[in-house]
Amino acid sequence: MKRYALRQLLQLGVVVVGISMLAFAILHVIGDPVLLLLPLNAGKEEYERYHKLLGLDKPVYVQYWKFASRAVQGDFGKSWYTDTPAFTLVLERMPPTLYLTSAGLVAALLIALPLGILAALKRHSLVDNLCTMLAVAGQAMPIFWLGIMLIIVFAVRLKALPASGYGTWQHFLMPAFTLGAFLAPLTMRLVRSGVIEIMNMDYIRTARAKGVGENTVVVKHAFRNACIPIITVLGLQFGQLLGGAIVTETVFAWPGVATLTVESIRNQDFPVVQCAVVLLALIIVSVNFLVDMIVGLIDPRIRLG
Amino acid sequence: MRRTLVSGSALFLLLALGCPPAADAQTRDDTLVYALQSDVDTWDPPNSVLREAIILGYHVFDHLAVRDLKTRRVVPNLALSWKALNDTTWEVKLRQGVKFHDGSPFTARDVKATFERVLDPTKKMTARGNHAKIKSVEIVDDHTVKFHTDGPYPIFVERLTALVMASEKVIKDKGHEWMQEHPIGTGPYKLVKWDRKHEHLLVRNDEYWGPKAPYKYVRIRIIPEQATQIAELISGGVDVIKAVPPDQIDVINKSGQARTASSPILRTAFLQLDQAARSGPNPFTDRRVRQAANLATDMDGIIKHVLNGLGDRVATAVNPMAFGFDAGLKPYKQDLAAAKKLLAEAGYPNGVDIVYNQGPPTVEPGLLQTDEAIVADLTKAGFRVKQNYVGDNTVFVARIKDSKAGPMFSFSWGYYSVFDADAILYDIFKCKETYAYYCNPAMDDLIIQGRSTLDQKKRAEVYAKAQKLAFDDAAYLFKWGLRGVWGISNRVDYQAPPDEVDRMFLVTPRKK
Repeated sequence: MKRYALRQLLQLGVVVVGISMLAFAILHVIGDPVLLLLPLNAGKEEYERYHKLLGLDKPVYVQYWKFASRAVQGDFGKSWYTDTPAFTLVLERMPPTLYLTSAGLVAALLIALPLGILAALKRHSLVDNLCTMLAVAGQAMPIFWLGIMLIIVFAVRLKALPASGYGTWQHFLMPAFTLGAFLAPLTMRLVRSGVIEIMNMDYIRTARAKGVGENTVVVKHAFRNACIPIITVLGLQFGQLLGGAIVTETVFAWPGVATLTVESIRNQDFPVVQCAVVLLALIIVSVNFLVDMIVGLIDPRIRLG
Repeated sequence: MRRTLVSGSALFLLLALGCPPAADAQTRDDTLVYALQSDVDTWDPPNSVLREAIILGYHVFDHLAVRDLKTRRVVPNLALSWKALNDTTWEVKLRQGVKFHDGSPFTARDVKATFERVLDPTKKMTARGNHAKIKSVEIVDDHTVKFHTDGPYPIFVERLTALVMASEKVIKDKGHEWMQEHPIGTGPYKLVKWDRKHEHLLVRNDEYWGPKAPYKYVRIRIIPEQATQIAELISGGVDVIKAVPPDQIDVINKSGQARTASSPILRTAFLQLDQAARSGPNPFTDRRVRQAANLATDMDGIIKHVLNGLGDRVATAVNPMAFGFDAGLKPYKQDLAAAKKLLAEAGYPNGVDIVYNQGPPTVEPGLLQTDEAIVADLTKAGFRVKQNYVGDNTVFVARIKDSKAGPMFSFSWGYYSVFDADAILYDIFKCKETYAYYCNPAMDDLIIQGRSTLDQKKRAEVYAKAQKLAFDDAAYLFKWGLRGVWGISNRVDYQAPPDEVDRMFLVTPRKK
């Protein structure tokens, strides 16, 4: 297990460095940040002065080396727009996004687990068909549209919830549900097929033959084994969830790191984009690492293989 | 496993719900809520190019001069009066008894320090270019300063509205970095807290030298999505929003909770034609083809039917609110027969192929819809237009600067809030300027004449000539002056501002 973990950790490092290089290269390709930093009517002299001030007159590899050697010490430089450390900016906006994605994940599980198990146990019944319909609808529905619909119903018409913003538990309900609805369909289908497959296994028949109660069979034997692919997919979906968070944060005016990143890309605020990309990559890679570890713990075949 | 999942979920929920910050002490009745689409990058207005930074700056800081919203003229503010002593020296008298939020008095030393900070070429200050004509600032006494300029500087007074006054003590003791998040001004509100990308809370400055703001608190919320802003407005969560899209006006007006108001704004839209051949040889280097384009399009009809009247037709690109605008010059009227005839004379009897580079609708309401109508009109006259949509504004602007946007592209110009014809003629009509795809030595002469004298009568005459020349030469394909639309809650009264600077200290509770 130790060696397995070590190997995974090493891969993690390589991935993060690779991503930071890629992000750096892409940022340099998409355009000139000074064009955006200065007013439209700024002259050539101002333009060149800024290029020098930001160190953009140096070759790209020199710029990357400067960035990387500082970044390993936790110094990502200062935002070109706000003149505050990029690390502080990104860290400040990280909690709202983590709260939102966690709440979205919980919402997704709350929807997907019961419905998935129910659909598997009542296969080919009306309940199963309804669940399938719900999953297809959920997958087809753009997050953006669902968010706006919820706002119109619960904030504008019923006046039951605040339309947007951040701060109280009421502010959480609509964004979490929106993000959950985005992740739930796939998870539900996985739970359903996993449980169906396992319910046909020999050991389930044995358990039943031994006279074990149906609830124990489903929860302890079937669901537990069905968890392995679900956890793996949830880990892989975490990146998707952050992608969904960008739209959710925009619709609900949620002050998270996802919108900060998109805005910084638009502004070509290199230090902030770099910092956000590296930290988000670290989070995604760590989540995947954790998933690998958990799955390895649950299923000895994986860590031995 | 199940236990792990359940306890994990519970932990997530706890984390998720356990974070709300403490509720604020203000009540709904003494608080005004204003929404912005994106947050400012800094609370140091001269270090930002964003309009949002200008707007917030007005609340916490003061300018030497401000615009009177009724007459649109520049009037005294922290400066009491100004006069030109000669072509390159201005004397400005300052208001007495004004205090910064930290209690220190406002004097000539603060004016000098503010300008010197912005003009320092070693500092990263984006507003430097706007004030670079000022060579030095001299203190005459505590409440008098002299500005020495590099040559005559006729828009000096206009530019006084474009720089907020900071305190010398703060500049020297606290420094640049501190100033990015801690604004110490003399303005009607003070900043209480800034939660980046989320909201700003301002409290009334009860020591303010001018009229006191009616609302004790102003909350400025950052709501990126327009549909969400409108939902907040009609569900009572927000009191004022700006840049309402034309197709949403009815939704707001029929809600019973809020209404819309519109105002002409200092921005003109037009299609640039590559007369200067910056992107290489093209049909628009021939004046007859440019005239044909202007004669082919029915801009009045487009304003009326596509924009619901939210535009003011102009003969050239000079905005009706700018000094020097010539109201006597009448715009082109659609005449398809004349357009076809001109095209034939120019050597295109069977029509001509044109590529049209279109930018995204970031500042211009209904841009995509009006573009379609313009292309349809051009087609009728024989222009076979191939539309090339560039969805990212950064890429689009970079392409324009790189001389790659010809032969025809969509454009609008906001004058940097300088209500003067020079603010568009110099940048957009003068040879070799970054955004100018037009080059005519006769026009350059007029532009230089206009900025070389302080005699406003003479300047107006020069600009009338320049507009006539732009019109006759069909420099670009001229469209209209834009109008902004605001959404205003029925619980307040507010006048839409012509300079696109919202001033929450002018919002009053609605009279019943």
